Amino acid sequence: MNGAALSRWTMAYFAAAFGLLIVAEALMACGYGFPAVAVEAPETLVLVHVTAIGWLSLLMCGALFQFVPVLVGQPLRGRRLVLPALLCLLAGLACLLAGFLSLSGVVEIGFPVLGCAAVLLAVGFALVATALARTLWSARRTGLPMPARFVAVGLACLAAAVLLGAVFALTFAGLLPTTDVVGWGLPAHAVAGFGGWLTFTAVGVSYRLLPMFMLAPETERATTRLAWWSGGVALFLAVLAAPAERALSGSDTSLAIAGLLGCVALACYGADLVFFYRRRKRRAIELNSRSAVGAFACLCLTAVLAVAMAVMGEAARHVGALVFLAAYGWLGGLGLSQLYKIVPFLTWLECYGPVMGRKPTPRVQDLVVERRDGPWFILYFAAVLGGAAALLAGRPELFRLAAVAMLTATAAIGLELVLARRLFNVAREKRLPEGTVRPHLFFAAQR
Amino acid sequence: MSGQAAATPTGTLAEAVRRALGMVIDPELGENVVDLGLIYDVVIADGGVALIQMTTTTRGCPASGYLEEAVREAARAVPAVSRVEVFMTYEPKWTPDMMNDEARRNLGLTGRRRL
Repeated sequence: MNGAALSRWTMAYFAAAFGLLIVAEALMACGYGFPAVAVEAPETLVLVHVTAIGWLSLLMCGALFQFVPVLVGQPLRGRRLVLPALLCLLAGLACLLAGFLSLSGVVEIGFPVLGCAAVLLAVGFALVATALARTLWSARRTGLPMPARFVAVGLACLAAAVLLGAVFALTFAGLLPTTDVVGWGLPAHAVAGFGGWLTFTAVGVSYRLLPMFMLAPETERATTRLAWWSGGVALFLAVLAAPAERALSGSDTSLAIAGLLGCVALACYGADLVFFYRRRKRRAIELNSRSAVGAFACLCLTAVLAVAMAVMGEAARHVGALVFLAAYGWLGGLGLSQLYKIVPFLTWLECYGPVMGRKPTPRVQDLVVERRDGPWFILYFAAVLGGAAALLAGRPELFRLAAVAMLTATAAIGLELVLARRLFNVAREKRLPEGTVRPHLFFAAQR
Repeated sequence: MSGQAAATPTGTLAEAVRRALGMVIDPELGENVVDLGLIYDVVIADGGVALIQMTTTTRGCPASGYLEEAVREAARAVPAVSRVEVFMTYEPKWTPDMMNDEARRNLGLTGRRRL
């Protein structure tokens, strides 16, 4: 078999990620963390890491185990690492959250739980990166296609983010001497995590999936290469050069250049997205491609607001709103919209793939009801925009209201994914032809 | 089986195989592999051996293995086919232009652009 097979544990990653998204949104709806407390407060760190590691990183890992083989046309290397990685990441996240709760004074823990978090998360992400990097490496002879190069840079940024995060955790745990490591390393940690690992990787995967779903031309464009180069250099400057420059001379020239190059990368990506949508052959596109437009709009809005606030000298004051918009509008919105395609697609393959050609099978589209589900995506993006506006306006009570709306929309989308996984929407007579088995919710059967 | 094959004109048998492959649906696009233009060639060799050259819409697609197997099974079910050999190729690369009119219409490749 050429290329990819079903990734056995991808659904488990998705399920864990979705559960943690619900937790994060419920915390925001209850008024836990920012904006009720400061951005750097332990309660906010709980919220940020449930979002960044629990929701977005687990989602990204699960998706990459399935789609990196598609990007390079090679099977996934190191399949055995996938489940241990998930267990390490979940245990590491639990320790990290316990450590933050301990810092906030809610609980007392008698051992250096943040040290355990550092080790478990580092091991978990190392296992993930090993499997993915080996798969990318296996395609080196034919040359890595451009989407896979984005993923490669994303993995390098993941390593940087995890390394810095581990140093912070060990410092907080008292296992490393106290220095100003958080002061100079925090921006690099955030940029490597949100900008490199999550955003750059998502951009790379979207370069392959969007044309595939919309039947748009897949030709490699000059703007795509420019996006990779400028984005890659911007990340290098922001993650490596800027902290060094700040430590040595106290200036931020590298960071300013990184910001400019980041804008160039985003402009090129935007041009490519417009090209894909305008040149698509499939005129009536599916809900996942339609709702992804909301995520791209949030990315654009985040960039415009960030530039405007940097120019006005207000960026530090509104960093919480910007991170919220990027995490929930851009990354979370893209994740939810693509889950709406990926979950039914993988479920279809698992259930009906083995009898295809021998029995009549439903279509992938029969596993979902787009007309019913479209409004939930509209509610989700409207709530995210409302939440960001509430943060910018300094109205925490409105932010909580927006979080309730996000939670409602997310829960509804989650329910639809469960229904898709259980084949609930497929007509009863077509649902389980002879030779098929209803897929398990959390993992794929081995073929 | 082979006796039947000898009695059946190979062109007709190839057509029968193509018709049988109409049951195999590409899961991503929801149309059958023949209408999508994923079946590049069907040749019937001596003894009723069906030689099928096919592709997928995208290289490395998770459905590739299932599609290959499904094409093999569907062709094997045709009376007078004694054996099936499927060759997966990406030369030439599949493009939407290879679809027939019916698949184009069903996928909305004609008509107004709607978001």
